[in-house]
Amino acid sequence: MAVMRLGHVRLNVLSIEEALTHYTDILGLIETSRDPDGTVYLKGWDEWDKYSVILAPSDRAGVQHIAFKVEKDAELDAYRKRIESYGLEVEEREANALPFCGRSLFLRLPSGHECFLYAEKQFVGKSVGTLNPDPWPDGLKGAGAHWLDHVMLMCEVDPARGTNKVAENVDFFGKVLDFGLAEQVVAGPQGEIQAAAWMFCTTTPHDIAFGAGPRAGLHHISFFLEDWSDILKTADLLAKHRVKVDVTPQRHGITRGATTYFFDPSGNRNETFAGLGYLSQKDMPTITWNEENLWRGIFYHTGDIIGDFLGVYT
Amino acid sequence: MSHFIIHVGEAEDSFPCKGEQTVLHALASIHHKQIRAGCHGGGCGVCRIRILKGDFVVGCMSRDHVNNEDEASGITLACRTWPRSHLVIQPMDKLPVRLTRRFSLLQIIPDDRVNSSRDEDVEAWRS
Repeated sequence: MAVMRLGHVRLNVLSIEEALTHYTDILGLIETSRDPDGTVYLKGWDEWDKYSVILAPSDRAGVQHIAFKVEKDAELDAYRKRIESYGLEVEEREANALPFCGRSLFLRLPSGHECFLYAEKQFVGKSVGTLNPDPWPDGLKGAGAHWLDHVMLMCEVDPARGTNKVAENVDFFGKVLDFGLAEQVVAGPQGEIQAAAWMFCTTTPHDIAFGAGPRAGLHHISFFLEDWSDILKTADLLAKHRVKVDVTPQRHGITRGATTYFFDPSGNRNETFAGLGYLSQKDMPTITWNEENLWRGIFYHTGDIIGDFLGVYT
Repeated sequence: MSHFIIHVGEAEDSFPCKGEQTVLHALASIHHKQIRAGCHGGGCGVCRIRILKGDFVVGCMSRDHVNNEDEASGITLACRTWPRSHLVIQPMDKLPVRLTRRFSLLQIIPDDRVNSSRDEDVEAWRS
């Protein structure tokens, strides 16, 4: 029984046309379906399921829900029991409640974010197919993002009130969904406040991350690119199209990834991320960053304190 | 091409802004100390301002940060606001102040863009 991966995120966008241009022409995702209300479904060329990103027209920005794909349908019943005995409410939704998906489980994470688990989603296939494939397809646009890599959620933390939704999410993902904890940031005089966490269900350092903020929200969604030269070229592309770049290409200490951050036209932060980082396994000891080294962990080369990186989110 | 002057508060502080430029874009070049730049897309809400005087047009903004009532009272996001006349604007309360008040991990940032008349609130809270 296992959660296989982050299956998709449903993003709220203020202008569907601008968002679509950004995610297809610049990031290189491929449109696979569209609802009459303008909602668009997208996938990366290297992904095989129907979609990994849903863009939903809204009067606000941010993430509407995240969804994880589990291995087998029967596992949903087991997860339902586990979630209930952990003490969270969970509802079963019928097939197609999540478009193009089988039945699903809906729950609110301790942080308040909406989350689905599902086992089946319509198969489309990679753009290069499965028989004697080329390493990449012709006709890719923009960055040619391979896949949705991970999501980082902001979770309410207020030590004065004893609130720590980062720690609560970590506990839930560890105990109920069997995620591993690859890295964490601890703060406070005795390092007693878990202020950020990077968790995995695949073999990469993170499939989901949690950061501390004054309110729940979306910090970023991240797309995988092959290597450093793709990261650099994508940054060129962002500049060429006057996309608002938040962080220019560099390396994270945390996860060791090569990264660039930027904003979509609704202000949702995106990342392009390259490199394995390292092999994550459930028996790997958790890496800890203390508060003094937080910024070295985020921006490894400079260690600069860029408060807006944590303070600005949707 | 129209050229407008944006006055910040009652002070003599002012800067030029072209009609096709957002207020935030015009501000960015001078790193105004009282108005923060965030996502530049109307989503994060850190560049909230109130327009005290003048005509302007706005683009899409997240209702999480500017609701209908706010908008009717002249509150807007600098990143989604284009001037149509000279403007008098007022910065709204800023996220770092609220953040540092509630969460000690985020230190006060040594950057004059985020120092404000409200820093004494932070000092009072931290002490």
